[in-house]
Amino acid sequence: MNAREFFINPADYGLPTRDELVAYRIWDNHFHGFAAKNPIEQYERNNFFVERMGVERSIAQEVGGTLEEPFAPYQYDVEILKILERDKDRLSGRTPIDPGFPDESCAKIEKWIRNGPCIGIKYPGTGKKAVTCSHPNNDPILRLAAELDVHVYIHTWLKVGGTPRLPGGDNLPSESTPMDVAKLAQRFPNVALICGHTGGDWELGVRAVRPHKNVLMEFSGSDPHSGMVEYAIRELGVDRLVWGGHGPSRSYATELGKVLDADISKADRMKIFGGNLRRICASIFRKKGITIEP
Amino acid sequence: MNSRRHFFKTSFASTAAVSLFGPLAQAAERSGSRVAGIIDTNINVFDWPFRALKFRDTQALVVKLKKHRVIQGWAGNFEALLAKDINGVNARLAAECRKHGRGFLIPFGSVNLAWPDWEEDLRRCHEVHEMPGIRIYPGYQPFDLDHPGMGRLLQMTTERGLILQVVFGMEDPRVYHPIINVGPVRFRPLVAALKSVPNAKVQLVHFAGSGSNEDLAQFMEYPNTFLEISRLEGNGAIARMLGSVAGLPSARAPLDRILFGSHAPYFPIETAILKLIESPLEAPQLHAIMQGNARRLLLPA
Repeated sequence: MNAREFFINPADYGLPTRDELVAYRIWDNHFHGFAAKNPIEQYERNNFFVERMGVERSIAQEVGGTLEEPFAPYQYDVEILKILERDKDRLSGRTPIDPGFPDESCAKIEKWIRNGPCIGIKYPGTGKKAVTCSHPNNDPILRLAAELDVHVYIHTWLKVGGTPRLPGGDNLPSESTPMDVAKLAQRFPNVALICGHTGGDWELGVRAVRPHKNVLMEFSGSDPHSGMVEYAIRELGVDRLVWGGHGPSRSYATELGKVLDADISKADRMKIFGGNLRRICASIFRKKGITIEP
Repeated sequence: MNSRRHFFKTSFASTAAVSLFGPLAQAAERSGSRVAGIIDTNINVFDWPFRALKFRDTQALVVKLKKHRVIQGWAGNFEALLAKDINGVNARLAAECRKHGRGFLIPFGSVNLAWPDWEEDLRRCHEVHEMPGIRIYPGYQPFDLDHPGMGRLLQMTTERGLILQVVFGMEDPRVYHPIINVGPVRFRPLVAALKSVPNAKVQLVHFAGSGSNEDLAQFMEYPNTFLEISRLEGNGAIARMLGSVAGLPSARAPLDRILFGSHAPYFPIETAILKLIESPLEAPQLHAIMQGNARRLLLPA
Protein backbone atom coordinates (compact mmCIF):
# COMPACT_ATOMS: atom_id res chain seq x y z
CA MET A 1 0.00 0.00 0.00
CA ASN A 2 1.40 3.40 -0.83
CA ALA A 3 1.38 6.17 1.75
CA ARG A 4 -1.47 8.08 0.14
CA GLU A 5 -3.78 5.10 -0.20
CA PHE A 6 -6.69 4.98 2.25
CA PHE A 7 -9.63 2.63 2.53
CA ILE A 8 -11.71 4.93 4.67
CA ASN A 9 -12.34 8.58 4.10
CA PRO A 10 -11.35 10.53 7.23
CA ALA A 11 -13.97 13.16 6.44
CA ASP A 12 -16.69 10.53 6.88
CA TYR A 13 -15.44 10.08 10.45
CA GLY A 14 -15.29 13.73 11.38
CA LEU A 15 -11.57 14.04 10.76
CA PRO A 16 -9.38 15.97 8.33
CA THR A 17 -8.47 14.33 5.07
CA ARG A 18 -4.82 14.07 4.16
CA ASP A 19 -5.20 17.13 1.94
CA GLU A 20 -6.57 19.04 4.91
CA LEU A 21 -3.71 17.88 7.13
CA VAL A 22 -1.27 19.10 4.50
CA ALA A 23 -3.09 22.42 4.45
CA TYR A 24 -2.51 22.77 8.20
CA ARG A 25 1.24 22.91 7.38
CA ILE A 26 2.27 20.59 10.18
CA TRP A 27 5.76 21.04 11.58
CA ASP A 28 6.74 18.22 13.89
CA ASN A 29 8.67 19.88 16.66
CA HIS A 30 9.66 16.57 18.26
CA PHE A 31 10.93 13.89 15.91
CA HIS A 32 12.91 10.88 17.09
CA GLY A 33 13.51 9.37 13.68
CA PHE A 34 17.22 8.93 14.39
CA ALA A 35 16.83 7.57 17.93
CA ALA A 36 17.49 3.90 17.26
CA LYS A 37 20.24 1.34 16.95
CA ASN A 38 19.63 1.53 13.21
CA PRO A 39 18.82 5.24 12.84
CA ILE A 40 19.05 5.52 9.07
CA GLU A 41 16.79 2.55 8.47
CA GLN A 42 14.31 3.82 11.02
CA TYR A 43 14.29 7.29 9.51
CA GLU A 44 13.67 6.03 5.99
CA ARG A 45 10.95 3.65 7.15
CA ASN A 46 9.18 6.33 9.15
CA ASN A 47 8.93 8.56 6.09
CA PHE A 48 5.97 6.42 5.04
CA PHE A 49 4.03 7.80 8.01
CA VAL A 50 5.35 11.34 7.57
CA GLU A 51 3.95 11.24 4.06
CA ARG A 52 0.74 9.47 5.03
CA MET A 53 -0.15 11.93 7.79
CA GLY A 54 0.82 15.03 5.84
CA VAL A 55 3.70 16.31 7.99
CA GLU A 56 5.46 19.19 6.21
CA ARG A 57 8.70 19.35 8.22
CA SER A 58 10.18 17.32 11.06
CA ILE A 59 12.68 18.63 13.60
CA ALA A 60 14.95 15.78 14.62
CA GLN A 61 15.88 15.91 18.29
CA GLU A 62 19.24 14.21 17.98
CA VAL A 63 21.56 15.61 15.34
CA GLY A 64 25.22 15.39 16.36
CA GLY A 65 25.64 12.66 18.92
CA THR A 66 22.81 11.07 20.82
CA LEU A 67 20.64 12.17 23.73
CA GLU A 68 22.57 9.86 26.06
CA GLU A 69 26.03 10.74 24.69
CA PRO A 70 25.71 14.22 23.21
CA PHE A 71 29.46 14.90 23.04
CA ALA A 72 30.76 11.53 21.85
CA PRO A 73 31.41 11.05 18.14
CA TYR A 74 28.49 9.14 16.70
CA GLN A 75 29.09 6.66 13.90
CA TYR A 76 25.98 7.82 12.04
CA ASP A 77 26.67 11.57 12.15
CA VAL A 78 27.99 11.67 8.59
CA GLU A 79 25.03 9.80 7.16
CA ILE A 80 22.59 11.90 9.13
CA LEU A 81 24.21 15.08 7.80
CA LYS A 82 23.79 13.78 4.26
CA ILE A 83 20.13 13.09 4.92
CA LEU A 84 19.67 16.58 6.39
CA GLU A 85 21.02 18.01 3.15
CA ARG A 86 19.09 15.62 0.92
CA ASP A 87 15.80 16.22 2.76
CA LYS A 88 16.34 19.88 3.65
CA ASP A 89 12.92 20.74 2.30
CA ARG A 90 11.26 18.63 5.03
CA LEU A 91 13.83 17.90 7.75
CA SER A 92 15.75 20.01 10.25
CA GLY A 93 17.59 19.19 13.43
CA ARG A 94 18.39 20.26 16.95
CA THR A 95 21.59 19.26 18.58
CA PRO A 96 21.58 17.80 22.10
CA ILE A 97 23.76 19.27 24.82
CA ASP A 98 24.26 18.63 28.55
CA PRO A 99 24.33 21.58 30.99
CA GLY A 100 26.47 19.49 33.29
CA PHE A 101 29.21 20.44 30.81
CA PRO A 102 28.61 24.07 29.80
CA ASP A 103 31.90 24.59 27.92
CA GLU A 104 31.43 21.45 25.85
CA SER A 105 27.81 22.42 25.28
CA CYS A 106 28.76 25.84 23.95
CA ALA A 107 31.41 24.32 21.72
CA LYS A 108 28.84 21.94 20.35
CA ILE A 109 26.40 24.77 19.65
CA GLU A 110 29.15 26.61 17.78
CA LYS A 111 29.88 23.54 15.69
CA TRP A 112 26.37 22.30 14.97
CA ILE A 113 24.36 25.52 14.93
CA ARG A 114 26.57 28.52 14.17
CA ASN A 115 28.76 26.54 11.78
CA GLY A 116 26.48 23.59 11.11
CA PRO A 117 23.00 22.74 9.94
CA CYS A 118 21.06 22.67 13.22
CA ILE A 119 18.32 25.16 14.04
CA GLY A 120 17.87 24.61 17.77
CA ILE A 121 19.29 23.35 21.04
CA LYS A 122 17.94 20.24 22.70
CA TYR A 123 18.14 19.62 26.45
CA PRO A 124 17.68 15.91 27.14
CA GLY A 125 16.70 14.71 30.58
CA THR A 126 19.54 12.25 30.79
CA GLY A 127 22.56 14.38 31.68
CA LYS A 128 25.49 12.78 33.43
CA LYS A 129 25.50 15.22 36.35
CA ALA A 130 22.54 16.24 38.48
CA VAL A 131 22.19 19.55 36.65
CA THR A 132 18.80 20.69 35.47
CA CYS A 133 18.02 23.68 33.30
CA SER A 134 17.63 26.06 36.22
CA HIS A 135 21.25 25.62 37.39
CA PRO A 136 23.69 28.55 36.83
CA ASN A 137 25.65 26.29 34.47
CA ASN A 138 23.00 27.07 31.90
CA ASP A 139 23.72 30.77 31.71
CA PRO A 140 26.58 30.65 29.19
CA ILE A 141 24.54 28.29 27.04
CA LEU A 142 21.56 30.64 27.09
CA ARG A 143 23.76 33.69 26.41
CA LEU A 144 25.03 31.93 23.31
CA ALA A 145 21.48 30.98 22.32
CA ALA A 146 20.51 34.65 22.64
CA GLU A 147 23.46 35.72 20.50
CA LEU A 148 22.49 33.23 17.79
CA ASP A 149 18.79 34.02 18.19
CA VAL A 150 18.06 30.33 18.41
CA HIS A 151 15.39 28.59 20.48
CA VAL A 152 16.00 26.03 23.21
CA TYR A 153 13.96 22.85 23.59
CA ILE A 154 13.95 21.45 27.13
CA HIS A 155 12.72 17.97 27.96
CA THR A 156 10.62 18.24 31.12
CA TRP A 157 8.64 15.84 33.23
CA LEU A 158 6.84 15.81 36.53
CA LYS A 159 6.98 12.12 37.36
CA VAL A 160 5.10 11.48 40.54
CA GLY A 161 7.07 9.81 43.31
CA GLY A 162 9.53 10.36 46.13
CA THR A 163 8.89 10.99 49.79
CA PRO A 164 6.60 12.75 50.24
CA ARG A 165 5.02 11.49 47.03
CA LEU A 166 4.74 14.52 44.73
CA PRO A 167 4.86 15.41 41.03
CA GLY A 168 8.53 15.56 40.00
CA GLY A 169 9.62 13.40 42.90
CA ASP A 170 10.53 10.55 40.59
CA ASN A 171 12.41 12.60 38.00
CA LEU A 172 15.92 11.64 37.03
CA PRO A 173 18.56 13.79 38.76
CA SER A 174 19.18 15.88 35.63
CA GLU A 175 15.59 15.85 34.38
CA SER A 176 14.12 19.34 34.41
CA THR A 177 10.61 20.25 35.51
CA PRO A 178 8.47 23.06 34.12
CA MET A 179 9.35 24.91 37.32
CA ASP A 180 13.02 24.70 36.31
CA VAL A 181 12.10 26.12 32.92
CA ALA A 182 10.27 28.97 34.61
CA LYS A 183 13.39 29.89 36.58
CA LEU A 184 15.51 29.85 33.46
CA ALA A 185 12.92 31.87 31.54
CA GLN A 186 13.00 34.54 34.19
CA ARG A 187 16.74 34.94 33.75
CA PHE A 188 16.58 34.91 29.94
CA PRO A 189 13.30 36.52 28.91
CA ASN A 190 14.53 37.12 25.36
CA VAL A 191 15.28 33.50 24.52
CA ALA A 192 12.43 31.35 23.21
CA LEU A 193 12.17 28.22 25.34
CA ILE A 194 10.05 25.20 24.56
CA CYS A 195 8.86 23.33 27.64
CA GLY A 196 8.87 19.78 26.30
CA HIS A 197 6.05 17.35 27.04
CA THR A 198 4.36 20.05 29.18
CA GLY A 199 6.11 18.27 32.01
CA GLY A 200 3.82 15.32 31.31
CA ASP A 201 1.40 16.66 33.88
CA TRP A 202 -0.03 19.45 31.75
CA GLU A 203 -2.35 20.84 34.39
CA LEU A 204 0.62 21.64 36.60
CA GLY A 205 3.14 22.29 33.83
CA VAL A 206 1.06 25.01 32.23
CA ARG A 207 0.63 26.73 35.59
CA ALA A 208 4.38 26.66 36.20
CA VAL A 209 5.36 28.49 33.02
CA ARG A 210 2.26 30.69 32.75
CA PRO A 211 3.89 34.01 33.74
CA HIS A 212 6.80 33.68 31.33
CA LYS A 213 5.83 34.80 27.84
CA ASN A 214 9.02 33.45 26.26
CA VAL A 215 8.06 29.88 27.16
CA LEU A 216 6.12 27.81 24.65
CA MET A 217 4.48 24.51 25.56
CA GLU A 218 4.76 21.28 23.62
CA PHE A 219 2.42 18.36 24.26
CA SER A 220 4.15 15.44 22.62
CA GLY A 221 5.28 12.24 24.26
CA SER A 222 2.56 12.08 26.84
CA ASP A 223 -0.86 10.48 26.67
CA PRO A 224 -3.59 12.31 24.78
CA HIS A 225 -6.02 13.85 27.22
CA SER A 226 -9.22 15.33 25.96
CA GLY A 227 -9.36 19.01 26.84
CA MET A 228 -5.63 19.51 27.35
CA VAL A 229 -5.09 21.87 24.41
CA GLU A 230 -8.09 24.04 25.23
CA TYR A 231 -6.87 24.32 28.82
CA ALA A 232 -3.45 25.47 27.63
CA ILE A 233 -4.99 28.00 25.25
CA ARG A 234 -7.09 29.42 28.09
CA GLU A 235 -4.08 29.77 30.37
CA LEU A 236 -1.28 30.64 27.93
CA GLY A 237 -2.87 31.81 24.71
CA VAL A 238 -2.71 29.98 21.41
CA ASP A 239 0.55 31.68 20.38
CA ARG A 240 2.47 29.70 23.01
CA LEU A 241 1.72 26.16 21.85
CA VAL A 242 3.74 24.01 19.47
CA TRP A 243 3.01 20.53 18.17
CA GLY A 244 5.23 17.49 18.30
CA GLY A 245 4.73 14.04 16.84
CA HIS A 246 7.30 12.16 18.94
CA GLY A 247 7.44 9.50 16.27
CA PRO A 248 8.10 6.82 15.68
CA SER A 249 7.74 5.78 19.32
CA ARG A 250 4.46 7.68 19.60
CA SER A 251 1.77 7.68 16.96
CA TYR A 252 1.14 10.75 14.87
CA ALA A 253 -2.46 9.71 15.46
CA THR A 254 -2.06 10.23 19.19
CA GLU A 255 -0.48 13.64 18.82
CA LEU A 256 -2.77 14.94 16.09
CA GLY A 257 -5.77 13.86 18.13
CA LYS A 258 -4.80 16.20 20.96
CA VAL A 259 -5.21 19.24 18.74
CA LEU A 260 -8.18 17.95 16.75
CA ASP A 261 -10.00 17.36 20.03
CA ALA A 262 -9.96 21.10 20.67
CA ASP A 263 -12.87 23.19 19.41
CA ILE A 264 -10.78 25.95 17.90
CA SER A 265 -10.55 27.78 14.60
CA LYS A 266 -8.52 26.56 11.65
CA ALA A 267 -6.26 29.58 12.09
CA ASP A 268 -5.53 28.58 15.68
CA ARG A 269 -4.89 24.98 14.69
CA MET A 270 -2.42 26.19 12.11
CA LYS A 271 -0.57 28.18 14.75
CA ILE A 272 -0.24 25.11 16.97
CA PHE A 273 0.57 22.69 14.16
CA GLY A 274 3.39 24.84 12.81
CA GLY A 275 2.91 28.59 12.70
CA ASN A 276 4.25 29.25 16.18
CA LEU A 277 7.31 27.09 15.63
CA ARG A 278 8.02 28.79 12.32
CA ARG A 279 7.80 32.14 14.10
CA ILE A 280 10.49 31.31 16.64
CA CYS A 281 12.64 29.58 14.00
CA ALA A 282 12.41 32.32 11.39
CA SER A 283 15.65 34.04 12.36
CA ILE A 284 17.84 30.95 12.37
CA PHE A 285 16.40 29.71 9.08
CA ARG A 286 17.07 33.12 7.58
CA LYS A 287 20.68 32.98 8.78
CA LYS A 288 21.09 29.61 7.14
CA GLY A 289 19.71 30.91 3.90
CA ILE A 290 16.61 28.77 4.02
CA THR A 291 13.39 30.48 3.06
CA ILE A 292 10.31 29.37 4.94
CA GLU A 293 6.77 30.57 4.51
CA PRO A 294 5.49 31.87 7.87
CA MET B 1 -1.27 -4.24 -4.40
CA ASN B 2 -2.89 -4.57 -7.79
CA SER B 3 -2.87 -1.15 -9.38
CA ARG B 4 -6.41 -1.75 -10.58
CA ARG B 5 -7.62 -2.27 -7.06
CA HIS B 6 -9.86 0.53 -6.02
CA PHE B 7 -8.57 2.85 -3.40
CA PHE B 8 -9.48 6.10 -1.84
CA LYS B 9 -7.42 9.19 -2.29
CA THR B 10 -8.52 12.22 -0.42
CA SER B 11 -9.02 14.10 -3.61
CA PHE B 12 -11.65 11.57 -4.74
CA ALA B 13 -15.33 11.99 -4.03
CA SER B 14 -16.01 9.86 -1.00
CA THR B 15 -19.32 8.49 -2.22
CA ALA B 16 -17.70 7.02 -5.27
CA ALA B 17 -14.93 5.48 -3.26
CA VAL B 18 -17.02 4.08 -0.45
CA SER B 19 -19.16 2.09 -2.84
CA LEU B 20 -16.07 0.11 -3.72
CA PHE B 21 -14.87 -0.80 -0.26
CA GLY B 22 -16.31 -4.30 -0.04
CA PRO B 23 -16.97 -5.25 3.59
CA LEU B 24 -17.09 -1.65 4.74
CA ALA B 25 -19.62 -0.75 2.09
CA GLN B 26 -21.73 -3.80 2.88
CA ALA B 27 -21.74 -2.93 6.56
CA ALA B 28 -22.69 0.62 5.72
CA GLU B 29 -25.57 -0.55 3.57
CA ARG B 30 -26.86 -2.81 6.34
CA SER B 31 -26.93 0.13 8.70
CA GLY B 32 -28.73 2.33 6.22
CA SER B 33 -25.76 4.66 6.01
CA ARG B 34 -23.31 5.16 3.22
CA VAL B 35 -20.44 4.90 5.69
CA ALA B 36 -19.64 1.95 7.95
CA GLY B 37 -19.88 2.76 11.62
CA ILE B 38 -17.61 1.99 14.53
CA ILE B 39 -18.29 -0.06 17.65
CA ASP B 40 -16.24 1.53 20.41
CA THR B 41 -15.60 -1.13 23.04
CA ASN B 42 -13.94 1.18 25.57
CA ILE B 43 -15.70 4.25 26.81
CA ASN B 44 -16.69 5.33 30.30
CA VAL B 45 -19.43 7.57 31.60
CA PHE B 46 -19.81 9.92 34.58
CA ASP B 47 -16.95 11.69 36.30
CA TRP B 48 -13.27 10.86 36.18
CA PRO B 49 -12.29 11.27 39.83
CA PHE B 50 -9.43 13.71 39.27
CA ARG B 51 -10.47 16.10 36.51
CA ALA B 52 -13.61 17.51 34.94
CA LEU B 53 -13.39 15.86 31.54
CA LYS B 54 -14.51 17.78 28.49
CA PHE B 55 -17.16 15.19 27.60
CA ARG B 56 -18.17 14.20 31.11
CA ASP B 57 -21.82 14.89 30.31
CA THR B 58 -23.19 11.73 28.75
CA GLN B 59 -25.40 13.54 26.26
CA ALA B 60 -22.43 15.55 25.03
CA LEU B 61 -20.37 12.37 24.82
CA VAL B 62 -23.06 10.61 22.78
CA VAL B 63 -23.25 13.53 20.36
CA LYS B 64 -19.47 13.52 20.05
CA LEU B 65 -19.27 9.78 19.42
CA LYS B 66 -22.00 9.92 16.81
CA LYS B 67 -20.26 12.81 15.08
CA HIS B 68 -17.35 10.43 14.53
CA ARG B 69 -19.55 7.59 13.25
CA VAL B 70 -19.56 5.52 16.39
CA ILE B 71 -22.70 3.40 16.21
CA GLN B 72 -22.33 1.68 19.57
CA GLY B 73 -20.29 2.31 22.69
CA TRP B 74 -19.53 -0.26 25.37
CA ALA B 75 -19.64 1.85 28.49
CA GLY B 76 -18.11 1.40 31.88
CA ASN B 77 -18.63 3.71 34.82
CA PHE B 78 -15.67 5.69 36.20
CA GLU B 79 -17.27 5.36 39.64
CA ALA B 80 -16.34 1.67 39.65
CA LEU B 81 -12.69 2.58 40.20
CA LEU B 82 -13.12 3.69 43.78
CA ALA B 83 -16.69 2.99 44.91
CA LYS B 84 -17.67 0.39 47.48
CA ASP B 85 -21.36 0.24 46.54
CA ILE B 86 -20.69 -1.44 43.22
CA ASN B 87 -24.33 -2.37 42.73
CA GLY B 88 -25.23 1.32 42.93
CA VAL B 89 -22.51 2.07 40.38
CA ASN B 90 -23.94 -0.55 38.05
CA ALA B 91 -27.55 0.56 38.48
CA ARG B 92 -26.64 4.17 37.66
CA LEU B 93 -24.68 3.00 34.63
CA ALA B 94 -27.59 0.92 33.33
CA ALA B 95 -30.03 3.80 33.80
CA GLU B 96 -27.70 6.27 32.11
CA CYS B 97 -27.26 4.00 29.12
CA ARG B 98 -31.03 3.50 28.79
CA LYS B 99 -31.58 7.25 29.05
CA HIS B 100 -29.43 7.95 26.04
CA GLY B 101 -30.99 5.49 23.66
CA ARG B 102 -31.28 1.74 23.78
CA GLY B 103 -28.67 0.00 21.71
CA PHE B 104 -26.21 2.87 21.51
CA LEU B 105 -24.57 2.81 24.93
CA ILE B 106 -24.14 -0.79 26.08
CA PRO B 107 -23.50 -0.94 29.84
CA PHE B 108 -20.59 -2.95 31.15
CA GLY B 109 -20.98 -3.00 34.91
CA SER B 110 -18.28 -4.03 37.31
CA VAL B 111 -17.53 -6.30 40.20
CA ASN B 112 -14.78 -5.76 42.74
CA LEU B 113 -13.19 -9.03 43.79
CA ALA B 114 -11.88 -7.40 46.95
CA TRP B 115 -15.38 -6.57 48.19
CA PRO B 116 -17.57 -9.26 49.78
CA ASP B 117 -20.34 -10.98 47.82
CA TRP B 118 -19.22 -9.70 44.45
CA GLU B 119 -20.98 -12.73 42.98
CA GLU B 120 -24.33 -11.05 43.68
CA ASP B 121 -23.20 -7.93 41.81
CA LEU B 122 -22.33 -10.14 38.86
CA ARG B 123 -25.74 -11.82 38.97
CA ARG B 124 -27.49 -8.46 38.98
CA CYS B 125 -25.38 -7.20 36.06
CA HIS B 126 -26.59 -10.17 34.06
CA GLU B 127 -30.11 -10.81 35.28
CA VAL B 128 -31.33 -7.40 36.42
CA HIS B 129 -29.47 -5.02 34.12
CA GLU B 130 -29.14 -7.48 31.21
CA MET B 131 -25.57 -6.44 30.54
CA PRO B 132 -23.56 -8.41 27.97
CA GLY B 133 -20.42 -8.21 30.05
CA ILE B 134 -18.56 -6.65 32.93
CA ARG B 135 -15.40 -4.60 33.27
CA ILE B 136 -12.88 -4.95 36.08
CA TYR B 137 -10.19 -2.39 36.95
CA PRO B 138 -7.40 -4.26 38.79
CA GLY B 139 -5.16 -1.94 40.73
CA TYR B 140 -7.69 0.83 41.19
CA GLN B 141 -9.92 -1.93 42.52
CA PRO B 142 -7.61 -3.40 45.16
CA PHE B 143 -6.82 -6.78 43.66
CA ASP B 144 -4.47 -8.16 41.04
CA LEU B 145 -5.17 -10.83 38.46
CA ASP B 146 -3.73 -13.51 40.72
CA HIS B 147 -6.58 -12.90 43.16
CA PRO B 148 -8.08 -16.21 44.31
CA GLY B 149 -11.46 -15.09 42.98
CA MET B 150 -10.27 -14.73 39.37
CA GLY B 151 -10.90 -18.36 38.50
CA ARG B 152 -14.40 -18.18 39.92
CA LEU B 153 -15.06 -14.92 38.06
CA LEU B 154 -13.97 -16.46 34.76
CA GLN B 155 -16.12 -19.52 35.46
CA MET B 156 -19.19 -17.46 36.28
CA THR B 157 -18.88 -15.09 33.33
CA THR B 158 -18.42 -18.05 31.00
CA GLU B 159 -21.43 -19.90 32.38
CA ARG B 160 -23.52 -16.79 31.84
CA GLY B 161 -22.07 -16.03 28.42
CA LEU B 162 -20.73 -12.70 29.63
CA ILE B 163 -17.73 -10.83 28.25
CA LEU B 164 -15.07 -10.07 30.84
CA GLN B 165 -13.24 -6.82 30.08
CA VAL B 166 -9.98 -6.51 32.01
CA VAL B 167 -8.64 -2.96 32.21
CA PHE B 168 -4.85 -2.70 32.27
CA GLY B 169 -4.67 0.98 33.10
CA MET B 170 -6.55 4.23 33.04
CA GLU B 171 -3.74 6.77 32.78
CA ASP B 172 0.03 7.12 32.61
CA PRO B 173 1.35 6.15 36.07
CA ARG B 174 3.85 8.99 35.86
CA VAL B 175 1.05 11.53 36.19
CA TYR B 176 -1.09 9.86 38.81
CA HIS B 177 -2.48 12.12 41.48
CA PRO B 178 -0.01 11.64 44.35
CA ILE B 179 -2.59 9.86 46.50
CA ILE B 180 -2.93 7.15 43.82
CA ASN B 181 -0.22 4.53 43.74
CA VAL B 182 -1.44 1.77 41.48
CA GLY B 183 1.16 -0.71 40.35
CA PRO B 184 1.22 -2.32 36.90
CA VAL B 185 -1.33 -5.04 36.28
CA ARG B 186 0.40 -8.38 35.76
CA PHE B 187 -0.96 -10.17 32.71
CA ARG B 188 0.47 -13.64 33.24
CA PRO B 189 -1.93 -14.75 36.02
CA LEU B 190 -4.86 -14.10 33.68
CA VAL B 191 -3.31 -16.28 31.00
CA ALA B 192 -2.76 -18.98 33.60
CA ALA B 193 -6.34 -18.75 34.86
CA LEU B 194 -7.68 -19.30 31.35
CA LYS B 195 -6.32 -22.85 31.33
CA SER B 196 -9.24 -24.02 33.42
CA VAL B 197 -11.82 -21.89 31.55
CA PRO B 198 -10.56 -21.95 27.98
CA ASN B 199 -13.78 -20.76 26.38
CA ALA B 200 -14.07 -17.62 28.49
CA LYS B 201 -14.75 -14.42 26.58
CA VAL B 202 -12.04 -12.05 27.72
CA GLN B 203 -11.09 -8.65 26.34
CA LEU B 204 -7.94 -6.76 27.30
CA VAL B 205 -8.79 -3.07 27.66
CA HIS B 206 -6.26 -0.24 27.39
CA PHE B 207 -3.56 -2.88 27.00
CA ALA B 208 -0.19 -1.62 25.79
CA GLY B 209 0.96 -4.93 24.36
CA SER B 210 4.62 -4.13 24.80
CA GLY B 211 6.79 -6.40 26.88
CA SER B 212 4.32 -9.24 26.92
CA ASN B 213 4.73 -10.95 23.56
CA GLU B 214 4.84 -14.50 24.87
CA ASP B 215 1.94 -13.98 27.25
CA LEU B 216 -0.12 -12.35 24.52
CA ALA B 217 0.61 -15.17 22.12
CA GLN B 218 -0.55 -17.69 24.73
CA PHE B 219 -3.61 -15.59 25.48
CA MET B 220 -4.54 -15.51 21.80
CA GLU B 221 -4.42 -19.30 21.61
CA TYR B 222 -7.76 -19.36 23.39
CA PRO B 223 -10.78 -19.01 21.11
CA ASN B 224 -12.57 -16.03 22.64
CA THR B 225 -9.80 -13.64 23.57
CA PHE B 226 -9.55 -10.08 22.31
CA LEU B 227 -7.86 -6.74 22.83
CA GLU B 228 -8.65 -3.17 21.83
CA ILE B 229 -6.43 -0.49 20.35
CA SER B 230 -6.68 2.54 22.66
CA ARG B 231 -3.29 1.97 24.31
CA LEU B 232 -1.30 0.87 21.25
CA GLU B 233 1.41 3.41 20.52
CA GLY B 234 3.95 4.20 17.83
CA ASN B 235 3.50 4.95 14.18
CA GLY B 236 1.59 2.21 12.41
CA ALA B 237 0.88 0.42 15.69
CA ILE B 238 -2.11 -1.57 14.47
CA ALA B 239 -0.39 -2.71 11.29
CA ARG B 240 2.71 -3.63 13.29
CA MET B 241 0.59 -5.70 15.64
CA LEU B 242 -0.83 -7.48 12.62
CA GLY B 243 2.67 -7.95 11.24
CA SER B 244 1.83 -6.17 7.99
CA VAL B 245 4.44 -3.42 8.36
CA ALA B 246 7.91 -3.40 9.86
CA GLY B 247 9.04 -0.93 12.48
CA LEU B 248 9.37 -0.86 16.21
CA PRO B 249 8.98 -4.26 17.83
CA SER B 250 5.38 -5.10 18.56
CA ALA B 251 3.44 -7.86 20.20
CA ARG B 252 1.34 -9.71 17.64
CA ALA B 253 -2.36 -10.40 17.59
CA PRO B 254 -4.47 -11.88 14.82
CA LEU B 255 -6.85 -9.62 12.95
CA ASP B 256 -9.96 -11.37 14.20
CA ARG B 257 -9.08 -10.51 17.82
CA ILE B 258 -8.52 -6.77 17.53
CA LEU B 259 -11.34 -4.42 18.52
CA PHE B 260 -11.77 -0.70 18.27
CA GLY B 261 -11.50 1.09 21.62
CA SER B 262 -10.98 4.79 22.22
CA HIS B 263 -10.80 5.24 26.02
CA ALA B 264 -13.08 8.25 25.55
CA PRO B 265 -13.85 10.58 27.13
CA TYR B 266 -10.49 10.45 28.92
CA PHE B 267 -8.70 10.19 25.55
CA PRO B 268 -10.00 12.10 22.55
CA ILE B 269 -12.03 9.79 20.32
CA GLU B 270 -10.03 11.25 17.43
CA THR B 271 -6.83 9.46 18.42
CA ALA B 272 -8.20 5.94 18.02
CA ILE B 273 -9.84 6.69 14.67
CA LEU B 274 -6.64 8.30 13.44
CA LYS B 275 -4.79 5.09 14.32
CA LEU B 276 -7.02 3.30 11.82
CA ILE B 277 -6.07 5.89 9.22
CA GLU B 278 -2.38 6.04 10.11
CA SER B 279 -1.86 2.29 9.79
CA PRO B 280 -1.95 1.02 6.23
CA LEU B 281 -5.01 -1.21 6.56
CA GLU B 282 -7.12 -2.65 3.79
CA ALA B 283 -10.91 -2.65 3.79
CA PRO B 284 -11.44 -6.13 5.30
CA GLN B 285 -9.01 -5.32 8.09
CA LEU B 286 -10.72 -2.04 8.83
CA HIS B 287 -14.13 -3.65 8.87
CA ALA B 288 -13.02 -6.35 11.28
CA ILE B 289 -11.55 -3.85 13.73
CA MET B 290 -14.22 -1.19 13.40
CA GLN B 291 -17.17 -3.49 14.03
CA GLY B 292 -16.97 -7.05 12.70
CA ASN B 293 -15.00 -8.54 15.56
CA ALA B 294 -17.07 -6.76 18.19
CA ARG B 295 -20.30 -8.05 16.66
CA ARG B 296 -18.91 -11.57 16.77
CA LEU B 297 -17.84 -11.17 20.39
CA LEU B 298 -21.34 -10.05 21.33
CA LEU B 299 -22.98 -13.13 19.83
CA PRO B 300 -24.16 -15.74 22.34
CA ALA B 301 -21.62 -18.51 22.87
